[in-house]
Amino acid sequence: MSSTSQKHKDFVAEPMGEKPVMALAGIGEVLGKRLEDKGFDKAYVVLGQFLVLKKDEELFRDWLKDTCGANVKQQGDCYGCLKEWCDAFL
Amino acid sequence: MPFAEDPAHLSKSRLKSDLVAHNVALPSAASKKAVYVELHLKHIDQKNAADFSSDEEDRADDKKDAEMPVPSCLTDEDLKAMLRKHGVKPGPITASTRVLYERKLHKLLQSDRRERLNEADKAVLYSDSEEEKKQQEKDQDSGSEKQPDPSDQTQKESSQCFLPSSRLRPCPPRNTESSSNWNSRNALKSSERSQSQCSQIISTSTADHHTGLGSTVLPRSKSTDDSSLSSQYFSITQMVEEMENSSSRSVTDNACEFNGTSVQENWAQSDRPPQEPVKDAFKDILPGSKTTPTGIYVTRRRPIKGAAQRPVQYSYPDSPVSPMTQQRREVERYLVPIHIQILVFIIVACVLYLIYVNVEGSLSYWSYGEDRLLVQAESQDAEADYAQD
Repeated sequence: MSSTSQKHKDFVAEPMGEKPVMALAGIGEVLGKRLEDKGFDKAYVVLGQFLVLKKDEELFRDWLKDTCGANVKQQGDCYGCLKEWCDAFL
Repeated sequence: MPFAEDPAHLSKSRLKSDLVAHNVALPSAASKKAVYVELHLKHIDQKNAADFSSDEEDRADDKKDAEMPVPSCLTDEDLKAMLRKHGVKPGPITASTRVLYERKLHKLLQSDRRERLNEADKAVLYSDSEEEKKQQEKDQDSGSEKQPDPSDQTQKESSQCFLPSSRLRPCPPRNTESSSNWNSRNALKSSERSQSQCSQIISTSTADHHTGLGSTVLPRSKSTDDSSLSSQYFSITQMVEEMENSSSRSVTDNACEFNGTSVQENWAQSDRPPQEPVKDAFKDILPGSKTTPTGIYVTRRRPIKGAAQRPVQYSYPDSPVSPMTQQRREVERYLVPIHIQILVFIIVACVLYLIYVNVEGSLSYWSYGEDRLLVQAESQDAEADYAQD
């Protein structure tokens, strides 16, 4: 079983509602700020982008890297978080 | 050919992103699509037209290139169609997703090209594999074999995947002379290759393999001194190296055709990873192992538990312990073990039972004693009565 962080567990436990983008696993203050500057101020906006990319891991990771400069671990955490959320609530 | 895009057919967001990509100032947000189309035509199409005319001659020579469109010049629909052709089902191509899909298509086209080249190489190699065997067995001067060498080289390299057993079999029983000849041929070939153009990448990679594996495709200058060693060290690793060399050599040939060093670099870099992991895996797994004559690395297998003369060892000294068991063990040090608890319980129960029994016994004794006292009292009374009379 791969270990998931507390942030991941908290995010996946309930509908995201109006949570800010920094509530996503892998997205901290710096990355969150960059995403907000690009207009992705809420977690659901990033979810929108994730869904537009048809939940494809590679594409989403590339997009995340381009948009906010996330490294491989952060990309993976964010992707995993969103994927699990979608599996649970979508 | 879907090169010439008609801007009128593109979406507004697509036009916007195109203009941004070409560093053209965007008109106001409320302007109509026609304005975007105009700007697009003005700036971008001129650029493309200029590019096209200069590229036409190159493309006429390169049939392969002619089939590959540049992803950024495609319309949304064309990009989607190209991706579908490669088995990818793209989602909506919007301003934000366009770049990602273009990159993906680019990667797919590159890998396609690589495959096509590999297939072309292999097709050549299969047909000539038999000739190569015969040449191996003859004892000829290395010099006389220089001309057939390149073809031999390519043959050997690709057929290495398919004829390793046949290669290995002839080698050990053969006398050292012939194998040393073959190895000296290798040395010369490798030296030729290293001298060719655009071979810096190749030489560094082969140098790495030389040092790392200790295999003996030989340092270029010496052939005779190492021939005795090399005969012992004939291995699959040599064949793998040769394959890599040939593929990179074929790349250098194609590089001139393709008229771009970027292609070659990508090729060499991307070609190395698939092959390096094969060898790096060995290095990583067995960094301290000595080279064996056959180049095969073997580790001793853990003995079967309970088998003959191998008593079952219930507690291995270095067995990995999970954090949970570690915690449990620490806690258990402070708690009293269960066996002792049960023992204490039984002892206490016995003690209580004995006490109970004793109390019961003493009660009956006392009651017996009371009876006696009563009897004595009665008899005394009786005596007293008698005494009165």
